[in-house]
Amino acid sequence: MTEPLLEVRDLQKYYFERDTFIDTLLGRERQSVKAVDGISFEIEPGETLGLVGESGCGKSTTGETLLRLREATGGSVRFDGQDVFEMDSEELKAFRKDVQIVFQDPFSSLDPRMTIGDIIVEPLKIHDIPEDPGDQSKREWRRTKAGELLKRVGLSATQLDRYPHEFSGGQRQRIGIARALALEPDFIVLDEPVSALDVSVQAQVLNLLGDLQEEFGLTYLFIAHDLSVVRHICDRVAVMYLGNIVEFGPTDELFESPKHPYTKALLESVPRPSTSEHGRRVDALSGDVPSPRNPPSGCRFRTRCPQVIPPSDLDIDQETYRAVMDLRDALVVGDVNPDHIWDAADPERVDEEAFIDEARSRHVDAELRGEVAGVVDTALGYLAEGDDARAEETLRNRFESPCETRRPGVGDATHPAACHLYEGSDEVTVIETNASEPLEADD
Amino acid sequence: MANPILKIRNLTTRFFTEEGQVNAVESVSFDVEDGEIFGIVGESGSGKSVTALSVIDLIESPGRVTEGEIWYRNEALAEEFRGSRPAAVDGDFVDVRQLPEGVRRSLRGPSFSMVFQDPMSSFNPSLTVGEQIAEAVEVQRRARSNPRSTRSRTQGYGLGSLIADTLLPSQSYVSEESMERAVELLDQVGIPDPEDRADEYPHQFSGGMLQRAMIAQALAGEPDILVADEPTTALDVTIQAQILNLLRDLQEREGMSILMITHDLGVIARMCDRVGVMYAGEIVERGPLGEIFDAPVHPYTQGLLGSIPDVDDPSTRLEPISGNVPSLIDSEMPDACYFADRCPKAMNDCLTRIPEYELDGRHSVRCVLAEREYDPTEAIDSEVLADD
Repeated sequence: MTEPLLEVRDLQKYYFERDTFIDTLLGRERQSVKAVDGISFEIEPGETLGLVGESGCGKSTTGETLLRLREATGGSVRFDGQDVFEMDSEELKAFRKDVQIVFQDPFSSLDPRMTIGDIIVEPLKIHDIPEDPGDQSKREWRRTKAGELLKRVGLSATQLDRYPHEFSGGQRQRIGIARALALEPDFIVLDEPVSALDVSVQAQVLNLLGDLQEEFGLTYLFIAHDLSVVRHICDRVAVMYLGNIVEFGPTDELFESPKHPYTKALLESVPRPSTSEHGRRVDALSGDVPSPRNPPSGCRFRTRCPQVIPPSDLDIDQETYRAVMDLRDALVVGDVNPDHIWDAADPERVDEEAFIDEARSRHVDAELRGEVAGVVDTALGYLAEGDDARAEETLRNRFESPCETRRPGVGDATHPAACHLYEGSDEVTVIETNASEPLEADD
Repeated sequence: MANPILKIRNLTTRFFTEEGQVNAVESVSFDVEDGEIFGIVGESGSGKSVTALSVIDLIESPGRVTEGEIWYRNEALAEEFRGSRPAAVDGDFVDVRQLPEGVRRSLRGPSFSMVFQDPMSSFNPSLTVGEQIAEAVEVQRRARSNPRSTRSRTQGYGLGSLIADTLLPSQSYVSEESMERAVELLDQVGIPDPEDRADEYPHQFSGGMLQRAMIAQALAGEPDILVADEPTTALDVTIQAQILNLLRDLQEREGMSILMITHDLGVIARMCDRVGVMYAGEIVERGPLGEIFDAPVHPYTQGLLGSIPDVDDPSTRLEPISGNVPSLIDSEMPDACYFADRCPKAMNDCLTRIPEYELDGRHSVRCVLAEREYDPTEAIDSEVLADD
C-alpha cells in the first residue's frame, strides 16, 4: 500500500449557536451543531474517494474543513505528510496551490464582473506563476495558458473575453474546472460538481473529469448525493449520516453488498431508469433525519433504522420493535399529545382503557401481544395520567436497545460498517458508551 | 381501459418578453387516461413545467396559451354547455379553453389540482399549515354552495380591506369544519399528530413533511387530475421514496389521474404508465413506458437514456448528447428539427419541420427515423447548424 496523499483523523466541525458576547453576558449556554462529528479516512494518490450522503449530513462541510476553508473544531488532516491545521501562512499558500476545489453552483461560484480569462488567470497571479515566462510577458504567458485550459475542458480560447452570464450551466462548470486546473494541483475537492446540471450535460462533465484525472494523475474527493454518479466515478466510497461515516469501502463491494442498514435503504430508494423499476414499491425509511443540534444517543441512525437491535432478553419481531421504538421517539420529541387522544377516546377523561386503545391505534403501527403489550399499556396508562416522564421511563427500562447506549464507529476492515449488527468483527468499533442515565426533564 | 379523462391537442404557449417571443410549448398533444400516471420528462428549459401550468390554466403575463384544446371529460359540464357553446362540447368532453373564465376557475380544485416543486416557497410563511389547507377546503365548500364564486381571501387587498382589518376584530376566514377536514387531510398524507402539526408554521416542518402538506392541500377539492410538477426534486432520496409511495397510494385510493412532470427518468420509470419526452417545447416521443425505455426511436430519447449513470452497472462509459439545450426565442429557432444540431443521426431530411409520426397507435415520435433508416451518406455536418 502506498503512502496516502490525504489522511483525515477524527475530524470534527461544530457550529455554535447562542455564542455571541451578549449570550455570554446573559449566561446562555451555547449550543453546538455537530455538522461533522469525528470522521477519519485516507485518500491514496490517483484515486477518487466518494463522500455520499443526504443533505445536512456534513459532506460539504468535510470538504471545506479539510482544505481549511473553515476552521476545524478538532482532529487532524495530513496532506502529503504535513499537518494541514498546523501550517503557517506560507505553508498554507503552498498547500492551496496543490489542492483546489470545484463548487456545486456554477452560477454563484464565478465572479460576474470578471471575464473568463481573468477568472482562470487569477490563481496564477496570486501564486505569481510563471516565475520565468521566457521571452513572453507574464501576462501573455498566463493568457496563453488560460486559452489552453479552456480548450482542454472543451471550450474555445476565443471565449476568454466573455463574461460568465454568457455561458450555460454546463459551460460554467467547465470554467470552474479550468480554474481549478490552472495551478496544476495534485488534489481536487469536487463538491457536488454535477448536481446543478441536466443529465445530458452532467454526463459530459463526468466524462471530462475522468479524462482529466487520467491525463494529470489527479486525486479527487468527490462529494455527491447522487449514488449513480458516485458509483460511476469513484474508486472507494464513504457513506455519511448525520456527521458520521457509517460505511466505507471499495465502490463495487459497497454497492453490491452494502452492510449498513442506512446504505441499504439509500441504495434501495434510488429510482432506476429502466422498465423493471415500474411499480416497484420501496420500503421507505420512516421519518426524517434528526437535527444535528440534538443527535440521537448511540447510533445516529437508530431512530429510522429498520434493523434496530432489541434487548437480548426480549422476544420481539422487528416490525413490532420498530413500532414501539417509534412510539418512544414520538414521546421524546413531543409528537404524542394526550389531550387529543383524550378528546377522541373519552372527552370526560375517565375511561383509561379507551385512552390506551386510542393511543395504540394512533401511535403504534403494529399488533402488540404478551409482555410487549403489557409494558406499552402500562406506559400509556402513565401518559393518560399526565405523567409523560414516567411513561417514557417505563418504555425505556424494558425496550432500551444496545443501539442507544453504545455509539458505533467504522472499524479497521477494508469495508467496515458502523453498525452493531457486525459486532465482534473488525468492521465496527464502539466509540463511546453511555449507560442509561437517570431520568431527566426533557427540554 | 383506454378511457381518457383529459385530451390535450396542439397546446401552444408563448411568452412575449423583451428579448422576443419565447416558444415555450409548441403544439403539444397527449392524453391522460382514467386512473393512470402520465409522465412528462425533459431537461430544464424543455417546456415541461409550462405545459403543466398551461393545462391547469395558470400561465401569467407575459405568457399566454395561444392555441390548442384541452378536452376534459365531464358529463355535467358537457350537458350545461351543449346548447350555449356547441363548439366547446364533444360528446362527454368539454374544451376547457372555450369555457367562460368563471367556470374555468371553478374547475381548479375539484377537477384539476397542482403540487409544486419547492414546498418551502409554496406555502405562505405567515399562516399556519392547517389554516392554508383549511382555506383550500373552505374555497371548495363555498364553491359548492355557490358554484361560480370561488373568491379566496387573498383577493381582499386595498385600502378598504386594510382599514377594515385594522378596525374590526379579526375574522377567521376558515370555519371549524374546514379546519377539521384539514386535520383529516394531514392525517391521510401521513403526518404524525396532525392536530398539533396543523397549528404549526411552514418553517417548523421539514421538507418532506411540507411536501406531504402540499399534497394534502391539493387533495382538498378531491380532484380528478393531479398535476405534480417535480414533486420530489427538492427532496433527499429516502424522503423521495416516501413521497412517491404516498402519491401511488393516494392515486389508487382516490382513483385520480396524475400528470407527473420530472427531469428524473428513474422517477418516471417507477411511477408512470405512459411517458412523453419533451425537448425544446415539443413532445418528441410519446408512448407506453416499456416502449420509450426499451425501444426508443428518437435520438434525443436514446441520448437521454445513454447519459444516465447506472447505479447497478458502472462499467459503461456515459454517452452524453453533445452541445447544450437550445434557446427557445422564436427568432433564433431554426426552421428544422430543433434537435438536428445536437443529433448524431441528423440527415438532410431533418432540415424541415418534422411532423409527429404514429408508430402503432400508442407510440408516436417526431423524427424522420420513424419512417426510414439512417443513411450516413445523407448526413449533414452538424457544425453547419451550430451557432458558434
